[in-house]
Amino acid sequence: MTAPAATAGTATRNEGRPWKATAVTGLLLLPAALWYFLLLVAPLFIVVVFSFGEKARNGGYAPAFSFENYGEVLERAEPFFASLRLASAGTLLTLLVGLPLAYFIATRAGRHKGVLVLLLVVPFWTSFLIRAYSWLITLGPRGAAGFFQDTFGDPAFRILGTELGVLIGMTYGYLPLMIFPLYVTLERMDRTLIEASKDLGAGRFATFRQITLPIILPGVITGSILVFIPMMGEYVIPAILGYGRTFLIGNALVLDFLEARNWPAGSAKAVGLIALMLVTITFYLWFLNRGRQTRDVSVL
Amino acid sequence: MAERDLNDLLARSMRARVNRRSFLAAAGLMGGSAALAACTSGGTTTSAGPTGAATAAPTGGASAPPAGDIESDLFIYNWSDYIAPENIEAFEALHNTTITYDTFANNEELLAKLQGGASGYDLACPTAEFLPQMIEGGFIEKLDQSRIPNMSLMDPSILNQKWDPNNEYHVPKDFGTTGILVRKKIVTEPLTSWREFFDLATGKYSGKVVLVDSLGDVLVMPLKMLGYSLNETDPARLAEARDILLQLAPHVLALDSDTYQDKLATEEAVLCLGWTGPLLELRDNPDTADTEYIVPSEGTLFWLDVWVKLADAPHPNASYEWLNWIHEPDIQKAETEYNGYATPNTAAKEIVDPELLADPAIFPPEDVMAKLEGADPAATDNEDRIDLWAEFKSSLG
Repeated sequence: MTAPAATAGTATRNEGRPWKATAVTGLLLLPAALWYFLLLVAPLFIVVVFSFGEKARNGGYAPAFSFENYGEVLERAEPFFASLRLASAGTLLTLLVGLPLAYFIATRAGRHKGVLVLLLVVPFWTSFLIRAYSWLITLGPRGAAGFFQDTFGDPAFRILGTELGVLIGMTYGYLPLMIFPLYVTLERMDRTLIEASKDLGAGRFATFRQITLPIILPGVITGSILVFIPMMGEYVIPAILGYGRTFLIGNALVLDFLEARNWPAGSAKAVGLIALMLVTITFYLWFLNRGRQTRDVSVL
Repeated sequence: MAERDLNDLLARSMRARVNRRSFLAAAGLMGGSAALAACTSGGTTTSAGPTGAATAAPTGGASAPPAGDIESDLFIYNWSDYIAPENIEAFEALHNTTITYDTFANNEELLAKLQGGASGYDLACPTAEFLPQMIEGGFIEKLDQSRIPNMSLMDPSILNQKWDPNNEYHVPKDFGTTGILVRKKIVTEPLTSWREFFDLATGKYSGKVVLVDSLGDVLVMPLKMLGYSLNETDPARLAEARDILLQLAPHVLALDSDTYQDKLATEEAVLCLGWTGPLLELRDNPDTADTEYIVPSEGTLFWLDVWVKLADAPHPNASYEWLNWIHEPDIQKAETEYNGYATPNTAAKEIVDPELLADPAIFPPEDVMAKLEGADPAATDNEDRIDLWAEFKSSLG
């Protein structure tokens, strides 16, 4: 063990502590590590292994090693592009809607801040599926679509059953996820910087662009990622609000796993989805952080 | 001293930066887990909680002679809304048994769950074409016919189907067809065949057509139009069917197995490739009473839903009691009048509401029955058909 230190008493204390400290740290991290390993690392590993297999006779996985499933992923890549398109548009839309709202709550709401934040949270207490169904009425021919049909005299106008309906549904569903990180960064922003900028003669927009935006950039990044990732995997909203006509990668996975019961093919698509998201997010981070002095990304 | 340490600690932690490499790693893991979570959590929206909560409605009734001690629980895995609630309550009261009713959205989900290791269910209700796979997978066991005397009440023409020729593994539940639902108030043109359905859907009623979200049912239309078997697996013939489906794709309003009756009711859709289930409800409502169901002249799919007892059923006595009791004529009559599907029970047919009996949509006449074809399990798994379906789904948007 530790040889008794000859000199100051603190030396002995320092040598004993690391051993116990690491043990305690290890023990504290154990539940989280176990959770991550069992529910994340192991399943991911299984998915990758399955992706090289082939479909068992009555559905499922049969051990094999082939790249056939990945070939199919590359051949039929439309759902990936559709998902990428909708998730990107959805993320942008949530940002455009969420940023002004977060800005207002963080800087102008004053006494009502708490109530407004609560109002943002309350819808989460209802099942997402039920809220999606309620959009069927709001956006349907007796709701918004009917209104626009009458206003523009175009009886064929529809919102539901098109990508627009899916976009609206997704934006609505994930808006709070974008607003919260933005709200936190905006709230913590040092307001005196804005005053200083104005004192130095910058107009409102210049101040926003040069001072506010770079400071809240970490919040924008966090919010975007929090919103983009679930949107990529979305399948309930295309099924309900898209009337089953929008075929996204989530729908393709359901077809593979539940209808065709071809687990290897579905696993290959899942791996493809993860790879696509990694590439997209890496590019996104690089793009936003280029030209910044500090090469670090601070999250909130 | 301690305060300054605390301040230092706070200051240090606030300045702490996550460097980019570790953030990317974390984001990647988060993304991966989120993707998996999104995909899997989406799939469980269809499983509902138990609906057969025991509020013992005292029927003060006669109790059936028990064959062995009837357990106090029974777990049924079934389609949603497929057993008359009054029958559930009656059984629960009769035997002091609590019935837990879990639902699945389609046969593939049932099979996937069983293959995934789900257990604890006593009875399930698949469509008969899935029997071979369930038998092969060892999920269901042969039934002890001596405990189900009511099997003698079955219509012989429904028994001995190709999926279980000796009726060893199943008790028939309901049968029916896949056909065309139409709002006659709006669609006044003659409609008796798949060909006419296709012409109307791609022509005058474009954008007002709904199809159920089921491979096996939708493929019936092009294959029967071409005069082929609906179990066709020949690639050349499937290519012809594919062309027809792709021609139809831009005119389809929705692929929907759950709410297609709502779209018919609001007249958002006027033509539907579906089942007879919603027919009774639509006909009861005066606004939608013009709805009709047509069995197309080229022929169509015959489906048979069956009761099976799972191999690891924890409550075998209650299971057998249910399998026999559900086919008591008056119980079966209540079932038919509740869910609107045809019963294979000849004794029940004698006491069923004559209006239902006379309805060719629900009880097809003999000449129509002759043109029906059951699904073939080999066809269900055929890769070309599945690819066709995926392609059709992709082309809808």
